[in-house]
Amino acid sequence: MAIAARNRAGAPAPVRRRWWRSDKAVIAYVFILPYVILFLTFKIAPAIFGVGLSFTNWRPVGGADFIGFDNFTRLFSDPIFWGALRVTLVYAIIAIPMSITVSLFMALLCDRTLRGMGIYRSIFFLPVVTSSVIAGIIWVWIFGQQGPLNWLTGLVGVGPLGWLQSEILVLPALSMVSAWSNFGYNMLILLAGMLAIPRDYYEAAELDGANWFKRFRHVTIPLLKPALFFVLILEIIKSFQVFDTIYVMTGGGPFRSSYTLTYMIYDQGFGYFDFGYASAVGVVLLVITLAVSLVQRWLFDKEKKK
Amino acid sequence: MTVSTAPQTTSPPTTPTGSKPLARGRRRRPGLMHLPLILAAVITAFPFYAMIVISLQPGQPIDLPGSLFPAVISYDSYQEVLGNSRIFQWAFNSAVYSIASVVLVLVFASMAGYAFAKKTFFGREVIFWSFVAMLMVPYHLTLIPQFIIVSEMGGLNTLWGLTVPTLANVQAMFLMRQFIRDIPDELIEAARIDGAGEFRIYWSIILPQTKPIMATLGTFVFLWHWNDFLWPLVAQRTPDMYVLTVGLNSMQQQETVLATTMAGAVIIFVPTLLIFICLQRFFVRGVVMSGLK
Repeated sequence: MAIAARNRAGAPAPVRRRWWRSDKAVIAYVFILPYVILFLTFKIAPAIFGVGLSFTNWRPVGGADFIGFDNFTRLFSDPIFWGALRVTLVYAIIAIPMSITVSLFMALLCDRTLRGMGIYRSIFFLPVVTSSVIAGIIWVWIFGQQGPLNWLTGLVGVGPLGWLQSEILVLPALSMVSAWSNFGYNMLILLAGMLAIPRDYYEAAELDGANWFKRFRHVTIPLLKPALFFVLILEIIKSFQVFDTIYVMTGGGPFRSSYTLTYMIYDQGFGYFDFGYASAVGVVLLVITLAVSLVQRWLFDKEKKK
Repeated sequence: MTVSTAPQTTSPPTTPTGSKPLARGRRRRPGLMHLPLILAAVITAFPFYAMIVISLQPGQPIDLPGSLFPAVISYDSYQEVLGNSRIFQWAFNSAVYSIASVVLVLVFASMAGYAFAKKTFFGREVIFWSFVAMLMVPYHLTLIPQFIIVSEMGGLNTLWGLTVPTLANVQAMFLMRQFIRDIPDELIEAARIDGAGEFRIYWSIILPQTKPIMATLGTFVFLWHWNDFLWPLVAQRTPDMYVLTVGLNSMQQQETVLATTMAGAVIIFVPTLLIFICLQRFFVRGVVMSGLK
């Protein structure tokens, strides 16, 4: 191995040194060793093992048999699985635009010099560092029958609504929590993107008589595309992996109307201890993730070629 | 990605009066611009306010909007939560989990990052990119196998079994490598000529140079672990081994008194808040850095 490295570097054969003084390959392996061990044991092995599990009927108690594609045939004829897939997609469709709209709006609000702006931004960032369990507990109260949200809707004569008890309202309610939790993070990324836009562009547009909206539409948005794209990717990942707030707030209910794929993995795995079946759901999630990132790549390359 | 330029790019969000002397809304009166911001801040902060206010009114029915401005406050629910010795055990578990992870991730990630950035060795690219590729695998797929592996090692319900699997942090290693790549080779060469061994170079040349990214990564890793829920939920099976998030969730499930649960939430939130106030600039830098990738 040391020889290979030396040839690559094209260096003359060095004086023989003790291995821990050598600047060549051996020492590099020593430096990466802890990570390699951790990775093999807790990332790469579990990933391969996870795919393998999906072809077995592994349960914590009792043996495991290889059962081929049985988990998948069972999965694809299971209404719970199709329900979970639908819930995951509907949640993504509601949560992603909601979160990005709020983030963009807040970034526009914060993109100016004002006394006390630092304090505003700190407040907006606070939900990002808050534990999702804390967020879930407070928001359960906010959405409650006698909670502040129903008090507000009551003022205009609507309600009280059972936000977390309604099959229609539960996903929008959970999306609101995720928008509240995430907008501070996205806002900072968008703000950094906005600060990178040269001021001359706005001045030129203003001289040409573009009003505020036109400047936003034709200067800010096109130049903000990379930042927006990044925020979009983050939001897609987050919405597909949402678990904590659902576990704390709804437990997948009512009637499995907030039962997502990730929740199904947990429920089948640690509720029913059906590890093989839960892993089959995990494989479906993997396939979806890979497909989404392929589309992302493709869009990204297309954008680059332009 | 140029991490070394990140501090310049990130300074504007923290110092609003910095690089942009011309306000975009300069024709309007500045006072008017505060209105939407104040409204947004009130909405954002309301859940925190409600959490505190409810925790201070145990044993009282909550009626809006009166309960939001309590005339009488009581600390009984705090006494009740703190009188329950479990919360100290949970706090201890959370602290060990978070602090041990920060230290070990920073050490391992900087070592690996140094090797990947500055060394040539057989298989470097393959190993590096196979690590990065693991970012694509959803965490939930690996959750069950990870549980089985840790369980086979006898690590369930132990602090080491909780901590060790989470140390394989791809992002940390990736950021370290990017950062160390920008450290000039001359610095390392000079140390080598002066007779420093490889560990000496790592310890006295590389580590001090990585201070800015250490601070940023450290705050993030701490927060991930302090707020982590799913893995501790699965790995810690008995109440005395819970971490704070899992403990709070169990309180919510068992506790009928809302004020007590909220008091627990406030107690868990205080450390986060203190860390956030002290290390805010590192958070901001970290977020923006992730956006520059």
